[in-house]
Amino acid sequence: MVIPLLVAAYIWASRRKNRRGMRFTNTSMLDVVIPKQSQWRRHLAVALSLLSLVTLTAAFARPKTTVDVPRERATVVLVLDASLSMQATDVKPTRLEAAKAAATSFVRTLPEKYNVAVVSMAGNASVLVPPTQAHNTVETAINSIKLQESTAIGEGIATAMRALEQAPKDPAHPNSIAPGAIVLLSDGSNTSGRSPLQAAAEAGKAKVPIYTIAYGSENGYVDLDGKRQPVPVDHAQMAQIAKLSGGQTFSAASLDELKTVYKNIGSAVGYEKAQREVTARFAGYGLAFALLAALGAISLGAKWP
Amino acid sequence: MLAPQESAALASVVGQPTRATIPLNKLAPEAALRRLELAIVRRLEGFLHGDHLGLLPGPGSDANDARMYRPGEDDVRRIDWAVTARTTIPYVRDTIADRELEVWGLLDVTPSMNWGTEGVTKRDLGIAAIATIGFLSQKMGDRFGGYVMRPDSVRRLPARSGRSALYGLLRTLLTEPFVPDHAPGGMALADAVEQLSRHQRRRGLRVVVSDFLTPGDHELDPNVEPNWERSMRRLGVRNQVLAVEVVDKREIEFPDVGDMLIRDPETDFERYVNTGDTGARARMDAASAAQRERIRIALRRAGVGHIQLRTDRDWVQDIARFVLAYRRVASLLHTPPQGVEK
Repeated sequence: MVIPLLVAAYIWASRRKNRRGMRFTNTSMLDVVIPKQSQWRRHLAVALSLLSLVTLTAAFARPKTTVDVPRERATVVLVLDASLSMQATDVKPTRLEAAKAAATSFVRTLPEKYNVAVVSMAGNASVLVPPTQAHNTVETAINSIKLQESTAIGEGIATAMRALEQAPKDPAHPNSIAPGAIVLLSDGSNTSGRSPLQAAAEAGKAKVPIYTIAYGSENGYVDLDGKRQPVPVDHAQMAQIAKLSGGQTFSAASLDELKTVYKNIGSAVGYEKAQREVTARFAGYGLAFALLAALGAISLGAKWP
Repeated sequence: MLAPQESAALASVVGQPTRATIPLNKLAPEAALRRLELAIVRRLEGFLHGDHLGLLPGPGSDANDARMYRPGEDDVRRIDWAVTARTTIPYVRDTIADRELEVWGLLDVTPSMNWGTEGVTKRDLGIAAIATIGFLSQKMGDRFGGYVMRPDSVRRLPARSGRSALYGLLRTLLTEPFVPDHAPGGMALADAVEQLSRHQRRRGLRVVVSDFLTPGDHELDPNVEPNWERSMRRLGVRNQVLAVEVVDKREIEFPDVGDMLIRDPETDFERYVNTGDTGARARMDAASAAQRERIRIALRRAGVGHIQLRTDRDWVQDIARFVLAYRRVASLLHTPPQGVEK
């Protein structure tokens, strides 16, 4: 608020008739002999010093601005089956616990730069964690998954695709989907929602491979309301999903091979909006302006040899 | 620590001065000036008996024409026997009356005179010049009066005789209020000189103290008359006129003070000037010299005596030198125009 006042004061002072200066009597001769010299250097020096004042004041206020922060777009979406069938204890301790452990260890082996999203899938699928590089958050989210009724693998895959869309945008192609992979940890039997094969085909069309890991055995069962219900694992469907989308299927035993998942994901850099403090930039500008103003003032006053 | 007078002169470079830069007792060495005499070559008219040659016949010391003796009117002792012997008719010789001198000093106090870089403002140097000339012309019965030219009016200080009256006049001049910068009023030197020659009809000595600079006049050709030349010439028809040109050193040698805002105390000229430019300073000095030459030629053309005083020099010495040389040239210099009695 002071700055416009200063500018006004400067203009007023330079327009003022009675300002200080050397009096000289023979100015009619001076007028003829010495041509009028332009005043841009003087005004420039004042303008620069005012600018430096503005920028330094702004820097003092510690400004923040939204800047585009480059971020890795490559995303691995973990889809965890949280249906009641995952309660079965044919895999120790339970299918779900084993899947959680596998997912956690997989996340730990993932390099830091990859984004990880977590989708929990039961009767309906939901994105627990949107794509993020904070792998700790992902692990916490994985461990907090609760069992729910029924299984909708197709919905899970579709939700995973939506999660991929939330990955940082590429500024050049904002509509392109981020390079990624879906890791589906399930026992394979679809009980509701759209067809998993159709969803897998769509994922394959979007060049997102689905790596499936089937948990359980043929004679797995769960106790629901006191009734024993057999929940055999559907290896065939899992394999088909992987095949349709261009991925692979793994067994719980061959977890180490999961590394191929992120090996095959291409790397692409996207940008993300983030609030960053830009004090340093303003201070730098202010310093530069102040230096230029000082140089201008020196060039006005100094007599060069 | 500077003396208060000097600091007042320094202040005049940036603002208008607030006090006089020469004290009253330093204006002129009165005792030393008694030995000098200012040559008065023009005939005077007056009422009183004085030390200078008058215009009309009367009791005096200088012989005039011879005329026929009129019995009963003329004193026998005044018969000019040489003329009587040649013509065989008795003749008497008349004398010219000795008259007192009336001096009027016109002092320019416009804002451009409130300036001086060498410890003395031009205005106070002008007062000192009036004081010096005043003490030079302090013969018996001589009167001294003053005109003060302000931008809006001319103030008259009555002429009186005697040294205490002269001191009173000088004190009045020194305590005359300073004209503020850019004061309204279009009084030019020509107007003031006209007023002086119109109001003071009695023949005598006139001293015009000014810097003879006209604001906005940048003519350098000496063949072009400055606008005060005509009125100066008219003043010189009946009077003996001395023009005291007051110059500051920095008006002739343009100062090197770096990039500087330069303002005119009278006009609204305002400009940043790079005074460090050697070429520009040389051009300015050349222009000032040409301007002074034009003033000198114009004053000479007007038939008035010209004294140039500088703030960085001893004015008493300059005036004394002028007076000594003036004795020889004054009668030539002040030859009145055709048809005007000497």
